[in-house]
Amino acid sequence: MQKVLGRIQAQVLRSRATNALANVVRHEATSSRTAAKPAATSKEFRERQVRFNIKNEQTEGRPLYLDAQATTPMDPRVLDAMLPYLTNFYGNPHSRTHAYGWETESAVEKAREQVATLIGADPKEIIFTSGATESNNIAVKGVARFYGTKKRHVITTQTEHKCVLDSCRALENEGFKVTYLPVLANGLIDLQQLEETITSETSLVSIMTVNNEIGVRQPVDEIGKLCRSRRVFFHTDAAQAVGKVPLDVNAMNIDLMSISGHKIYGPKGVGALYVRRRPRVRLEPIQSGGGQERGLRSGTVPAPLAVGLGAAAELSLREMDYDKKWVDFLSNRLLDRISSALPHVIRNGDAKATYNGCLNLSFAYVEGESLLMALKDVALSSGSACTSASLEPSYVLRAIGTDEDLAHSSIRFGIGRFTTVEEVDYTADKCIKHVERLREMSPLWEMVQEGIDLKTIQWSQH
Amino acid sequence: MFCLLLRRSAVHNSCKLISKQIAKPAFYTPHNALHTTIPRRHGEFEWQDPKSTDEIVNITYVDKDGKRTKVQGKVGDNVLYLAHRHGIEMEGACEASLACTTCHVYVQHDYLQKLKEAEEQEDDLLDMAPFLRENSRLGCQILLDKSMEGMELELPKATRNFYVDGHKPKPH
Repeated sequence: MQKVLGRIQAQVLRSRATNALANVVRHEATSSRTAAKPAATSKEFRERQVRFNIKNEQTEGRPLYLDAQATTPMDPRVLDAMLPYLTNFYGNPHSRTHAYGWETESAVEKAREQVATLIGADPKEIIFTSGATESNNIAVKGVARFYGTKKRHVITTQTEHKCVLDSCRALENEGFKVTYLPVLANGLIDLQQLEETITSETSLVSIMTVNNEIGVRQPVDEIGKLCRSRRVFFHTDAAQAVGKVPLDVNAMNIDLMSISGHKIYGPKGVGALYVRRRPRVRLEPIQSGGGQERGLRSGTVPAPLAVGLGAAAELSLREMDYDKKWVDFLSNRLLDRISSALPHVIRNGDAKATYNGCLNLSFAYVEGESLLMALKDVALSSGSACTSASLEPSYVLRAIGTDEDLAHSSIRFGIGRFTTVEEVDYTADKCIKHVERLREMSPLWEMVQEGIDLKTIQWSQH
Repeated sequence: MFCLLLRRSAVHNSCKLISKQIAKPAFYTPHNALHTTIPRRHGEFEWQDPKSTDEIVNITYVDKDGKRTKVQGKVGDNVLYLAHRHGIEMEGACEASLACTTCHVYVQHDYLQKLKEAEEQEDDLLDMAPFLRENSRLGCQILLDKSMEGMELELPKATRNFYVDGHKPKPH
């Protein structure tokens, strides 16, 4: 029964996407949310613009979800694959003496194969972890410490995920030298600068594939080629890229790669680390114990989660082309709709070398947090979920040279496999309405309208 | 020994019977039908002294307490069994069948390049070894040759089969 329901749900989600792609927008009885209300007439809209009244706005049910970089909903087909291992097949995959262990072990090994196939690796090179944060910690600290007697230098970038930056901070505490490469205004690294930074002391270069805040895609194949020629290990945090863009660890000369389950419509609490075997990468394990996962990550592998990650990986590989077309279509639609209606909207990060599912826009003269509050019926983010409690502007936006006021006015739109046209259109319209409303309230906007250059003003301290 | 001789003569006789029924080539003699040797135990080769000075390879074992033991080996000796002969605490639980990591040693960096490159299976096992280093190898996979003269082999602080009560596993 559960399987049948799962399949129906998957078909519903898929059909929503397919119909929308063909520009057939229709109300679906099966949808868990009511479709967006039809657009108001231009006269009504103008009246509403004048009044800007949001007091009586109420949200029914849960908001729309447009935060795919924070997490993704689990694909029902993934749940189908996991259910048996959450109920009847509960054996420890490391139990060697009975059938309970054997059947679970074979499921875990199948999942290992599925993950390996997605990135062009050998199944033996896949280590199951609790997520990309742990994978990044094992990779960065593990390699640096293992080769630390001879090589004491690590290179990363200023726009990496917090867990990579914090791992590097920890290494600095241990006496390692870390170079945090700056990025260009488009968010990409300067390859020549990277080449000049590598020394005979360098053991590891860690650069993410797709940035979680601005969606910029680094030239990992060129970085890999450079690192291989200089005999330096190359680690990439591919949590936001795996299953969304084609990756091949051998063609790209990647030595270590971090993967997350919940970013590819799989379960939370599971991830993987690819560790090359030829030429062999050695690591000092962070977790000691029974020597599971090639001795690199001791602890019982959670079979249901591993199976879920495997299923998600297989689905991502199978549907990558379709997902890409769908996400590109929705992303372009959202961007066109917003930028054609609003002036002073800046897209953060390179427009070409990017994953379109992550769209980071700065709305000049609008406070990002205020806009988020106004868009309370859409789940959006003003940056990484890991740092959203901070009042500081995003360090990623600061690294690409965004002015502090613009950095504070940025919103990240995350589009995924199950996002619909209705959701995108509703979000765009709501966004346009509230940006206009907030700008009307802003004295800065008024000054800009009057032709005053804000950069020439000397603000008094307060 | 007597059993072996009996078995040999029985085999010899059966070969004779068969040879009567089969057309034999001109060079065939009953004596090359089956050849048996007395089986040798694991590591027995290492208990034999070098036949000449040309065969001698001097190496040093450094145990986990830093105690140095100079040992005279010979070309072809297995580092694990040579350690057993000289009472050095290197376990070798799997009898050199590449199934454990209890003969884990650190090879002096200068000599690392002189060793035959580790097979994938040895590398996979080394992943499981505690206190792994860049110069880690499995002792059972190192066969001495003249280029290893003066090599130092350091034993790790503990292996996979360590006991906190101080028990020391003995070679089988």
